[in-house]
Amino acid sequence: MQTGPEIRHSLCRMCDDRCGIDVHLEDGRIVDILGNKDHPWNRGRLCAKARAAVDMIYHPDRVLTPLKRTADGWEQIPLDQALDEIAGRLADVRDRYGARSIGVWKGEAIGFGQQETVARRFAHALGSPNYLSNDSMCYVGRYMGFTLVDGAWPIPDLENARCIVLWGANPPYAHPNMTQYITAARRKGATLVVVDPRMSAIARRADIHAQVRPGTDGALAWGLVRQFVEMDAYDKAFVEDHTIGFAKVVDYARTFTPEMVEAETGLPAATVKAMARMMADAAPRMAAYVGNGLEHHENGVGNIRAIAMIDGLLGALDHEGGTLFKEPAPLRDLTLYDEMPLRHLSPLGTDRFPVLYDMRQECHTMTAMEAILSDEPYPLRALVMTGANPASTNPNSPKVIEALRSLDLLVVRDLFMTETTAVADYVLPAASFLERTELHAHAKHQIVSLTDKVVSWPDVQGEYDFWHDLAVRLGIGEYFPWEDETALNRWLLEPTGLSLETLEAHREGVEYSPPRVGRRRQAGFDTPSGKVEFASAYLKDLGYDELPVYHRPAYRREPDAARPFVLMTGARKLLYLHSRFRNIPRFRTAIPGPEVEMHPDDAAALGVADGDTVRVTSPIGAVDLPVKVVAENEILPGNLQVTHGWREANVNLVTHDDRFDPVSGFPLMKSIEVSVQKV
Amino acid sequence: MRIVAVDPDACVACRDCEYACAFRQSGDFARSASHIRVNFYADERACVPLTCMHCEDAWCLAVCPAAAIDRDPGTGAVTIDATRCAGCKMCLLACPYGNIHFNAETGVSAKCDLCGGDPMCVRACISGALRYVDAEELADLRREVVDASLKRLLRLSKGVR
Amino acid sequence: MHVVIVGNGAAALSALESFRGHDRDSRVTLVSGEQGPAYSRVLLPYYLRRRLSRDGLFIRRADDYARLGAATEFGVRAEGVDPARRVLELADGRRLGFDRLLIATGSSPMRPPIPGLDGPGVHTLWTLDDAVRLDSVFREGARLVVLGSGFVALQAAWAARQRGLQVSVIELLDQILPRVLDPAAAQILSERLHACDVEVRTGTRAESVETDRGGRVRVSTSGGDRLPADAVIVATGARPNDQLLPECLEPDRPGIPVADTMETVVSGVYAAGDVTRGPTARGGPREIHALWPTAVEQGRVAGANLAGAGRSYGGSLSMNVTEMFDLTVASLGQFVEDEGDDVFEEHDRGGIRYVKIVTRAGVPLGAIAMGAPEGAALLGRLRPFVRHRRALPDLPAFLAREDLDGRLAHRSAAKERTSCASLQ
Repeated sequence: MQTGPEIRHSLCRMCDDRCGIDVHLEDGRIVDILGNKDHPWNRGRLCAKARAAVDMIYHPDRVLTPLKRTADGWEQIPLDQALDEIAGRLADVRDRYGARSIGVWKGEAIGFGQQETVARRFAHALGSPNYLSNDSMCYVGRYMGFTLVDGAWPIPDLENARCIVLWGANPPYAHPNMTQYITAARRKGATLVVVDPRMSAIARRADIHAQVRPGTDGALAWGLVRQFVEMDAYDKAFVEDHTIGFAKVVDYARTFTPEMVEAETGLPAATVKAMARMMADAAPRMAAYVGNGLEHHENGVGNIRAIAMIDGLLGALDHEGGTLFKEPAPLRDLTLYDEMPLRHLSPLGTDRFPVLYDMRQECHTMTAMEAILSDEPYPLRALVMTGANPASTNPNSPKVIEALRSLDLLVVRDLFMTETTAVADYVLPAASFLERTELHAHAKHQIVSLTDKVVSWPDVQGEYDFWHDLAVRLGIGEYFPWEDETALNRWLLEPTGLSLETLEAHREGVEYSPPRVGRRRQAGFDTPSGKVEFASAYLKDLGYDELPVYHRPAYRREPDAARPFVLMTGARKLLYLHSRFRNIPRFRTAIPGPEVEMHPDDAAALGVADGDTVRVTSPIGAVDLPVKVVAENEILPGNLQVTHGWREANVNLVTHDDRFDPVSGFPLMKSIEVSVQKV
Repeated sequence: MRIVAVDPDACVACRDCEYACAFRQSGDFARSASHIRVNFYADERACVPLTCMHCEDAWCLAVCPAAAIDRDPGTGAVTIDATRCAGCKMCLLACPYGNIHFNAETGVSAKCDLCGGDPMCVRACISGALRYVDAEELADLRREVVDASLKRLLRLSKGVR
Repeated sequence: MHVVIVGNGAAALSALESFRGHDRDSRVTLVSGEQGPAYSRVLLPYYLRRRLSRDGLFIRRADDYARLGAATEFGVRAEGVDPARRVLELADGRRLGFDRLLIATGSSPMRPPIPGLDGPGVHTLWTLDDAVRLDSVFREGARLVVLGSGFVALQAAWAARQRGLQVSVIELLDQILPRVLDPAAAQILSERLHACDVEVRTGTRAESVETDRGGRVRVSTSGGDRLPADAVIVATGARPNDQLLPECLEPDRPGIPVADTMETVVSGVYAAGDVTRGPTARGGPREIHALWPTAVEQGRVAGANLAGAGRSYGGSLSMNVTEMFDLTVASLGQFVEDEGDDVFEEHDRGGIRYVKIVTRAGVPLGAIAMGAPEGAALLGRLRPFVRHRRALPDLPAFLAREDLDGRLAHRSAAKERTSCASLQ
């Protein structure tokens, strides 16, 4: 039957920003995706990734039937058989090594969403504390840094700010539509400071591009703190009423003179002063946002805490134009941490990185690799993962592959074959974000919304159906009593007083509570002390620095003459998300392949030009990459940048899985000492 | 009529607009197929999106020896009829802004046609630098940009003090 | 008021449209010796090259004239003007009264004083009829001699080559395209012609053309050769059709001189297009710029002033662009340097093989670009500076800003090769 053109409203999940989209269908097939003009976040605008979801969904390489590894290669098997066999093998592992030897891993390749809590529930229902995810390499470091100080990671009120400060963040590529809000503020006269060793896309618009050396942001933050104190420009009432540790801060900041900051960061002392003045003048309408650039260092959380302190000092916390505390959506919690705590089973990495588990109930993925290979502290023998590709995205890829290969069972659910499915025992087709039904909460606008299944394939399951079917086979079906996704969504939504039908009528989202400013100032901050914690007794008790003391990056502290370059990895490209989308042909046209970004002086010294190949070598390994010589002001001499996720030149061959931030456990991926040779 | 207003002070040269336009023209993301072009000059940190302004007195339209350029009565867009274009390139020479491009594959000139009234470049512009506005609003938008620059300049001069 | 426009080309049509922008009511009659709605002369080589169909040459529909409220007298030549009585005399004896008159009669191909040019095998490429005749002459393997090496000559040569003819070009001067290119650019194009197996004889005079009884032609050259051919095209330039109103001419000088209002010395009589000698953008004496864009510009001013708008023309700026043998050749303004001028030259930038810009005291006066089509766009961006005599202090920076796409350049180069190969 011919059905006419049809538009379904949904949310894009090509990244985690969840922009409103209009999905255009003809005869049941998606033909285009455009921005939903009614959505409060993106207001009809949409980056190039979103529209290309069509290419992803109908890609000829989609995995659409379950695959089982056999001696003769992949064998297509019926879904029921696959689930039966996987359940059987999981039961074997559980019987032999205990439930905690089974891990569950959430990735992001199928589109972000509620899969996380379903997966967490499954692990606990099974009796394993080992929930792993890519969050422990992106996001959690910042969540931790801010939550330790403020009790939450507040959201910058960009559009009402008079000064915006971005630290190691490049919204145009990483959170495209956030750029609109920066523009809106700048059109009202707001200034923009971008702290980044590279001239990122957003740095092109900065009034001050603070081009600091990688991993020295903490020194700059402390330098600013010192300036605010010197200038008498901090918010005394806020500091008095709402913070603890100010005296210690003043004392510690003393040595961070603009000259000392210049020596450490490379930023001219005058710029440090100008930046402080600009921020102080705008306060409390100073909105700061920290990006992933700060996380992948051995001093990441400390640096982030130091930056977080500035919001408190300037009284920008819980203030319009500063940073806002949003109320979470009152949805039911699907996880079982309260009903069934499993910390006593020693979630992997908890002993070394207790804060990671305390705050996020996450295990440490690098420790998990060690556990697989060594059976220490106990065996981890099976992993079930959806949309994750650690063989590409975790540091030290060869070791990850070796570990995954040695598992008794590796099950990967994904849209495509990846570096990780290459060592899997079973590959199951996963549902993309337009092939399942789920609830979303958009904290910035305090709205909930519902997205629906728009297209479907016979053997492709949504997250809930998969975990449900596996749970039933493993005898833990009682934890998954809902008939389907919709029944689950209805249950989750109940406490909000909203109905699924209301959400169906308002795909752009429905407010669950009106945003309020000043609530935290009245009711106290969600920290142990109820105050903004410049000094953290919690960290002190765990043996960490009470203050966010600045630790110089290793390459500054003990320069290694044999490895004179500092390699940053992981800067986002507009069209790619981690290891994803390299198989979309039009993206390849635009951004054809990997490259190492290099300063012209370094290229000259190495005798290389655009397109020449160099070998980048770290203590972990080496990778060959084509050179991209950027402009003089786009990168500092001696620094290199390589974006991750390229199968043909995987930079995680050289990243560290043996050096971590002590609090978050994040690996060293953005200030790696390397040598470079022309090949 | 409405035109695509361009604000270089907001542009970050992310190239989303080029991809969106190129995709509409060719089904692929090659910049060369895009009618809007964003030039980025690293030394000055300048981002300059260039796209047809559909000039009220369009010289390209007047000068086309094949009468292949016309104004769309619905959108007001200055459009090229590819079936009439002989490929003489007079329009390329006529446009003072470099906003007409030659498609070497088809041998005809190509330019922005406002996508029939819903320009894809604007739908893809995540910075808000591109806006599809009434031509009369242009002056207001320019004033807004100038005002903001002045305000920022004031703050900057204070900051550097 | 009754306005009469003589002509049906770029200047006439532009004037008609411009007039109607100012005056919707007055009577207008358009007179043309040729039949039917307007076609585009500059596109005739594209027709011969089979790039355009015959229908594609027409740039107005029959009903466009009525839509613009103009009566038409097609196929009737205007023979003369009685300025005192304000009457236009038509070839069929009719007399057309006017209040204001526009002479936009264009130009005609020059016939150099070579014996034998009136033979049946000798053609021009000027009118639609010429082109249709030549279309039947363009048979694969036939031999063609082209006299002259201007735009028309070389475009005809290219069309002939693409249609599989053997082509020789004879140019009296030492380089091809003498009025459009400087020697360096001419050299690049000559090499291209050579690569495409076009024989080019510069510095050569055609002494005579003989046609035998079988219609075969021989062209004798100053070098003493006798070139056999199936056809000859004479394309050695054009001269204005300026004899309609001798009263407005200056003695022994071709072209109707006009003021910057496009009015002639005869009050109420205007001229525009190839027929005029008009003001130029760089000042100085009036010149004939027999170019399409100049005709359009002049027509606009004349049309407005026919309606009494009081417009003034900023002067013509020569601009040329064409594609020949897969090379885009564009030029603008004064591209050959005088003493005291500065020259900026660059070779092989992206797909642009050659760029030359002539400046004086930082003000660009003119330019040439050859190679990729982007060269035309580059000159387009330069044009306002030339026209308004605006200084462009940092020329290399201006060029660098032409953010050429490497991939595009690469593709144009590939296309160049394939089309040349297809000739063999």
